[in-house]
Amino acid sequence: MQHIITAALDAASLAGASYADARVVDTSREEISFSTGVVEAVEHSDSFGIGVRALVSGAWGFASSRIVTPEEATRVAREAVAIAEASATVAGEPAVLPPLEPATGTWSGPLAIDPFTVPLEEKLALLIAADEVMRALPGVTLTKAHMGFYREHKWFGSTEGAAIEQSFVESGAGIAAIAVADGEVMTRSYPNSHGGGWSQGGWEYITGLDLVGNAQRVAEQAVALLSAPYVEPGIRDLIIDGSQMALQVHESVGHPTELDRVLGEEAAFAGTSFVRIEDVGTLRYGSEHMNVTADATVSGSLGSFGWDDEGVPAQRDHLVREGVLTGLQTSRETAASMGRTSNGCMRADGWNRIPLIRMTTISLEPGTWDLDELIADTEGGLYIETNNSWSIDDKRLNFQFGCEIGWEIENGKLGRMVKIPNYTGITPQFWASCDAVCSRDHWQVWGVANCGKGEPMQVAHVAHGASPARFRNVQVGVGRS
Amino acid sequence: MMTPEQARELARLAVSMTDSDQAEALVAAEKSALTRFANNRINQNVAEENALVSIRAVVGKRVGVASTNRLDDASLRATAQAAVRAARIAPEDSAFPGLPAPEPVREAHRGVQATRDFDAAARAEAVGGIVAQSSSRGLTAAGKVRSAEQVIAVANSLGVDVGQSITGAQATVLSMGAETGSGWASFLDADVRNLAPEALGSQAADLAQRSANPVALDPGEYTVVLAPEAVADIMDFLAYVGFSAKAVDEGRSFMSGHLEEGLMSEHVSIFDDALSDHAMGLTFDYEGQPKRTVPLIEYGVAIKPVTDSYWAAKTGWNNTGHALPAPNPYGPMPLNMEMWPGEASIDELIGGVKRGVYVTRFHYVNVEDPISVLLTGMTRDGTFMIEDGRLTSPLKNLRFTQSAVDALYWCEGATRERRFVGTEEGACFVPGLLIAKFNFTGQTS
Repeated sequence: MQHIITAALDAASLAGASYADARVVDTSREEISFSTGVVEAVEHSDSFGIGVRALVSGAWGFASSRIVTPEEATRVAREAVAIAEASATVAGEPAVLPPLEPATGTWSGPLAIDPFTVPLEEKLALLIAADEVMRALPGVTLTKAHMGFYREHKWFGSTEGAAIEQSFVESGAGIAAIAVADGEVMTRSYPNSHGGGWSQGGWEYITGLDLVGNAQRVAEQAVALLSAPYVEPGIRDLIIDGSQMALQVHESVGHPTELDRVLGEEAAFAGTSFVRIEDVGTLRYGSEHMNVTADATVSGSLGSFGWDDEGVPAQRDHLVREGVLTGLQTSRETAASMGRTSNGCMRADGWNRIPLIRMTTISLEPGTWDLDELIADTEGGLYIETNNSWSIDDKRLNFQFGCEIGWEIENGKLGRMVKIPNYTGITPQFWASCDAVCSRDHWQVWGVANCGKGEPMQVAHVAHGASPARFRNVQVGVGRS
Repeated sequence: MMTPEQARELARLAVSMTDSDQAEALVAAEKSALTRFANNRINQNVAEENALVSIRAVVGKRVGVASTNRLDDASLRATAQAAVRAARIAPEDSAFPGLPAPEPVREAHRGVQATRDFDAAARAEAVGGIVAQSSSRGLTAAGKVRSAEQVIAVANSLGVDVGQSITGAQATVLSMGAETGSGWASFLDADVRNLAPEALGSQAADLAQRSANPVALDPGEYTVVLAPEAVADIMDFLAYVGFSAKAVDEGRSFMSGHLEEGLMSEHVSIFDDALSDHAMGLTFDYEGQPKRTVPLIEYGVAIKPVTDSYWAAKTGWNNTGHALPAPNPYGPMPLNMEMWPGEASIDELIGGVKRGVYVTRFHYVNVEDPISVLLTGMTRDGTFMIEDGRLTSPLKNLRFTQSAVDALYWCEGATRERRFVGTEEGACFVPGLLIAKFNFTGQTS
């Protein structure tokens, strides 16, 4: 594949690019979904192509094609240069790439059992078994069971001399029971909502989830939610489970600390950030219990790789240390604007997209609490699990999240179940109210395979390590009065 | 870029390679380019050319799907074999009615050569015109200018054989001032010659200047006037969770059990109509079936949802031609929604409000409860107080938590003028609305 990349880079240089990089990406995807005893999808899809990024007179251009030949690579490179020349007609400060040691080598993600070699019959049997357990419970109206697999193999080269080959496999699965009655729809999911659980790895990850073993509980809780009350609107202490904490970190720490957002580069679509470059080192983001890292070296995480899509090595960096903002997620070009070098966060969603600053594994580092002890330490409040809905403003300040299920806490004990509890807050005030984070025993990495950003839209596969955490005096039950 | 005729030929070839009881091939080719700008300069500028062949193989009542963007014979044959292999192993779906037979499809010319020819230099010139309106006033502009052509073809072993080219030109502008004010403007049309960059840039910049130094407003229930962009968000979520025959049949839609009941104000009529002269997008669905004009809500009364061949057979309703590409766990979806216009101008709607809120658009809306279509989201880029029939103070962005069905129950008027919002295949054609009761639940201080 390197000869095709070389053809693209040579053509870009010859056409006037001061820098160019090229990526050839070959992907395969398999999706199997089952709903209420009926197969909804058995699908295999492949995509293959080349994308070339060129810098001309300090302005960027990108072109891509599904045809991967030296001749087409040459044409695409010339088109990228022509587009960059057009960009230069409405330019600001020229883009500058600080020096980078050209990366060479290969990297592959962890994989024990290649899921693409597991017979379809075996995959279907597992989904059908989980589906049947859920459907057996009276009151369950609909069920969902799905699994998906993704394989990516990519080659990267740059005019600076980088030559990299990387490959990984991701596996994911999940189930959901849905109870419908009297104008209400109650959903209970496992191991997570919105696509289930995802990890770099193979079939071993799917069997480790024990979908069938969790199906009965999921079904029972969905039915029980129908007769549960809504949470009483008001101000409560809140213990949030690990999966919802992952989303809380994603929306209120991950996105606001992307340096392209901070610089206004995403303003018109996803928005900007309340964080400013000058806040690094001084901004009180949350309480002293808040430690957040960006880590592309976590084995098995969707946010891991050998090098990002600019050829910057994977690394671990602190974003928040004891509540103070200490870093941002950066690219080569943006890191220079804050006097740093890239911490390797540039990734593209396939051959036909440019790399953007994307989260790696953005984690709330574990604290010291045991969950049972934390509940026992909470006089009155709520414990909530599993995201149901999410919304946050264009500066990542005002958020409102809903969960599938919650339980009231009274005198240190879990009590009555409540349905679809929601809560709202303002990011720094909310994180300042965090007074406890559970220990590594409760901490796990949650894969998020649906992070949208950019135009044209890109969907990144990212991850968050999180354990349950407690927040004081949070507004809950919004819009339910 | 392939022509519709070439795409149809490719679809027929893929069907002929598929050794199953029935077979269907969808060809989706796209040539698109998008220039993004931020901080008054072009910051991203991309072009893409791709084509996908997706094959649905049917063995008895078993279905498998495989797709590829490698279009050589060997790759197509391998993809066809993968679809057949999946179909042979997939469990039977006793409700699967088989692939649909051919039906006459209305021809419509919705591909515009000027849009196809809109190259990087032309996009940059348009961006320059937009940005100048902000930069000359000390404002900062961000947004995009996009042009695209899609060629879609569907063939199946029963004789379905359709193809169409559609084009779309899009532009968006966010203009931001130093005093936290911001304004928004957008454009969508099949023909890029209707784009007036300077006027669009000026519209956003005017709004940004007018919305500087916003003030706080206590949460509560207010009368609102929603500009078309905000109305389109509500329409999209009604479609997503409510207007599909699957959602209605499964009891997950606000229409479930309430067809032919008045659920909204008589000012609200919503149709899906891909066949009108002004519609954009395809006149057939992703099974090659003709899109029918469907009254979803008529004078506030829930009429019927949209269907595809599967959900038409399952529910007994007619096939309205609203299939998405197979496999499709979401069910049928309306992609050409229109809300009927009213008789007022936007100023006349505002003029009738004693005290209320004007919303230019929403941000990051999501569903908290599907049956009531309970939505939460933020206002953005031009939120104003209405007092005694006039826009007065700009407001800090507000969070709403509001049932879309209830909001449209309290609709008291719509504008004559309607606008397209969205993308060429999935555009909403909507007026501005006056809504008597709308629940704001928070604010960014």
